[in-house]
Amino acid sequence: MKRTAALTAALLGSATLGLSGCVVDDTQQASADGELGGTLTVACGAMEDWCQAMTTAFTKKTGVQTDFVRLSSGETVARLEAAKDSPEFDVWHGGPADGYGTAAAAGLLEQYESPNAAQIPEKYRDEDDYWTGVYVGALGFCSNQAKLDALGVDVPTAWSDLLVPELKGQVSTAHPSTSGTAFTTLWTQVTLAGGDEDAAFDYMRGLHNNVLQYSKSGTAPGQAAGRGEVAVGLVFTHDCVKYKEAGMNDLEVSLPEEGTGYEVGGVGIVKGTDNLAAAKAYIDWSLTPEAQDIGPTVGSYQVLTNPESVQDDRMIDLETTNLVDYDFEAAAAAKKELTTRFDEEIAAQPRE
Amino acid sequence: MSLDTLPAAALPAAPPPRRGSRQGGARMDTVTKLVITAVVLILAILIGYPLVRILTQAFGAEGLETLRNIATSSANRAVLLNTVVLGVLVGAVGTAIGFAFAYAQARLDFRGRKLLHLIALLPIVSPPFAVATAVITLFGRSGLVTNKMLGLDYNIYGLTGLTLVLSLSFFPVAYMNLLGMLRSLDPATDEAASSLGANRWKIFRSVTIPMLIPGFASCFLLLFVEAIADLANPLVIGGDFTVLSSRAYIAITGEYDVASGAAYSLVLLLPGLLVFLVQRYWAERRSVVSVTGKPSGNITLLRSPLARIPLLTVVLAIAALIVAIYVTVFVGAFTAILGVNNTFTLANYRYVLSGIGSDAMFTTTILALIATPVAGVLGMVLAWLVVRKVRRGRGALDFLGMLGLAVPGTVLGIGYALAFNKPFIIGNIQLLPALAGGGAIFGGALAIVMVYVIRSMPSGQRSGIAALQQIDPAIDEASTSLGASGLRTFRSITLPLIRPALLSGLTYAFARAMTTLSPIIFITTPQTKIMTSQILSEVDSGRFGNAFAYCTILIAIVLGVIGLMNLLIRDRRAPARVN
Repeated sequence: MKRTAALTAALLGSATLGLSGCVVDDTQQASADGELGGTLTVACGAMEDWCQAMTTAFTKKTGVQTDFVRLSSGETVARLEAAKDSPEFDVWHGGPADGYGTAAAAGLLEQYESPNAAQIPEKYRDEDDYWTGVYVGALGFCSNQAKLDALGVDVPTAWSDLLVPELKGQVSTAHPSTSGTAFTTLWTQVTLAGGDEDAAFDYMRGLHNNVLQYSKSGTAPGQAAGRGEVAVGLVFTHDCVKYKEAGMNDLEVSLPEEGTGYEVGGVGIVKGTDNLAAAKAYIDWSLTPEAQDIGPTVGSYQVLTNPESVQDDRMIDLETTNLVDYDFEAAAAAKKELTTRFDEEIAAQPRE
Repeated sequence: MSLDTLPAAALPAAPPPRRGSRQGGARMDTVTKLVITAVVLILAILIGYPLVRILTQAFGAEGLETLRNIATSSANRAVLLNTVVLGVLVGAVGTAIGFAFAYAQARLDFRGRKLLHLIALLPIVSPPFAVATAVITLFGRSGLVTNKMLGLDYNIYGLTGLTLVLSLSFFPVAYMNLLGMLRSLDPATDEAASSLGANRWKIFRSVTIPMLIPGFASCFLLLFVEAIADLANPLVIGGDFTVLSSRAYIAITGEYDVASGAAYSLVLLLPGLLVFLVQRYWAERRSVVSVTGKPSGNITLLRSPLARIPLLTVVLAIAALIVAIYVTVFVGAFTAILGVNNTFTLANYRYVLSGIGSDAMFTTTILALIATPVAGVLGMVLAWLVVRKVRRGRGALDFLGMLGLAVPGTVLGIGYALAFNKPFIIGNIQLLPALAGGGAIFGGALAIVMVYVIRSMPSGQRSGIAALQQIDPAIDEASTSLGASGLRTFRSITLPLIRPALLSGLTYAFARAMTTLSPIIFITTPQTKIMTSQILSEVDSGRFGNAFAYCTILIAIVLGVIGLMNLLIRDRRAPARVN
């Protein structure tokens, strides 16, 4: 009776579509408080294995079933915007704070001042408590030494080093619309140019001629350099260190002497989550050394924001690094306009 | 990829007009009317509504601005030109490869012919980017072949790489189409030409090729549409070659600029539909092959070494390339970082099989398994209506069903995101809840099943139409005159007769659902993870090992399920007469 079954299935399918006509219910479902329970879905902006380790540990600790989706920063904002009325995510964890600022301005994040936030230095926290910093990372050059040797180019130590004609098609970076890493690069140029956006775009236009292709995810350029597809990838230095540890031995980290941009990786609650209690518990937990110390165990060597968290030689020394004065609020405010401009003026343009 | 044209390749898609009394369209019972209403309603929801939403967005204020921008800005015009160039190249190269394989298969006798057939079909059951990722590993800047073996610094990124990857991914469609046509060419024409004194080359040039021209045209056009709709390969191997679909993808995933996304996809939709109409109503109507019956004589095989050797060399070289690509996928799945650190590891599988990976695997298979019978049956019902029941508006109904294939995947996906992310409300009556997105019912799984159904249904529809045209309507009429209703007749007479067509329709539907990406990528949700979009995220982040592991598992699932499906359906009854 296979035929009958298949036919029934088809009819059932159409019935499901038809039966759903019912009156709209405007009343919100009351969220359970007190006891932690239910499920959490985390939009995770860091490395996949980092996300996995974090959510697994949280599930183990609290019993709240926690899943994650790895999304680039721009993608997360786009997804939150798309599903504003019935959010897909409860928490956003990892990824540069600029994106969090953009999301907060669009009314996509929930303010929350965690009791644990007091332990985090003030410069790594949002004034309005839309997000709190969990790690800090500096932007750098992730070069393939063998590839550079073959090209006869020295390890780049300045932003201008990336513009030499020998590196044509040998630089990899992500697309600032999708990737927070790439937006950090763009805003760093704006900062270095003293706020002159046109000058920053001139630099990006020059870089464009040497870029092989713009990836969606910010970590991909490190992989491309590690595999020798390009000579230099523009990534956060901790990602480069991670790939080197994973066996891409030719990789070499260097920093631009003009000064480099940095990210504060954030954590925040998505507005309209139906499991607010668990989301708050997740934020509280993510700021503890217990949670932050998980990072280095999976090869992610960002500097951790809680002073009690572990330190490691493989982490960059923020004291001795020449960092630009990165204004997260201004960056967040300018993000949409800058990425749109980048898409129109640079990404689609032919290379010289 | 488009498998849908395969079964009906050698048959006219629109049924030729029959003599009036056999039509049955005049007397329509209530059940048939109900079925027609239901099918039209389902199609309206599955494809009509999303398209309407695309149109309204694209012609909204913001969308119009993007459209104007596409027309005026030189950069955008370059993108448009790139898209067309890519489509034309892939159409031409893919058709040529498909023809070489088909000709060798049909007209040459050599050892390993069966194996060659299987190799040619391999890209059908494999997910997107299996090819792109392996090509980068083999022929990239540090490619195993180009760099490590030959010491070249070859740049595969850009138009060359894209053409290679897309042609290899899509050529099986052309292969199957042309093979079907070559096999149904009447050898009598060859014999006639040869007895008039023409040599083989002359026959090939002036008999075989002209007869296949409609086939070439339709293959070219299908590959053209597939190539311009592909959004992920340009991201992976496009280099500085920007195309429309990846622009639409970045606009939506990066900026949530739905209006621009809709505008870009409208530009993709037009050539898609145009090409489809031309193919359906020009190429297939001009098809010389379709009027002949089964071959009446024996095909004389090509024996002249002058023709054999070059053709075989080309075909075997391409086959070797395909094998190398899939060997790379397989080996890469067990290697730490292929080309950099070649140690054996199971870590990729451990990663893929634990947590998210196994989740995606399970969900994707289940959803595809739900969609496959629905698509198969819906396609058969539609075919039955088109061939037997509906007279007026038959063309329109057929076209409505085929839209699922004609609309580029990117466009369909954006349309679904637009149409179903929010509940469909008129007044305060909710006609439909939100079907797509994480907040939707079943975590958005229903929308994914719907996409699978509408994308796969045309294959069932076409093979159904092909099969039904070979069954005498008198059998139906006998059943009806004995008092059976239209539905009963369909269930107990027609369906058993078209079982083989149904089986092939189901097989393609399943393979297609499992490997589809471009429409799915816009509607996957945290709750419903789909393998192809997981593979994209692995490839994009550069974790090729994990991507390879995913690909091998996906191929295994597709082959396994197709095998099971064949066993289950074949064993139930003796093979039907119609094939």
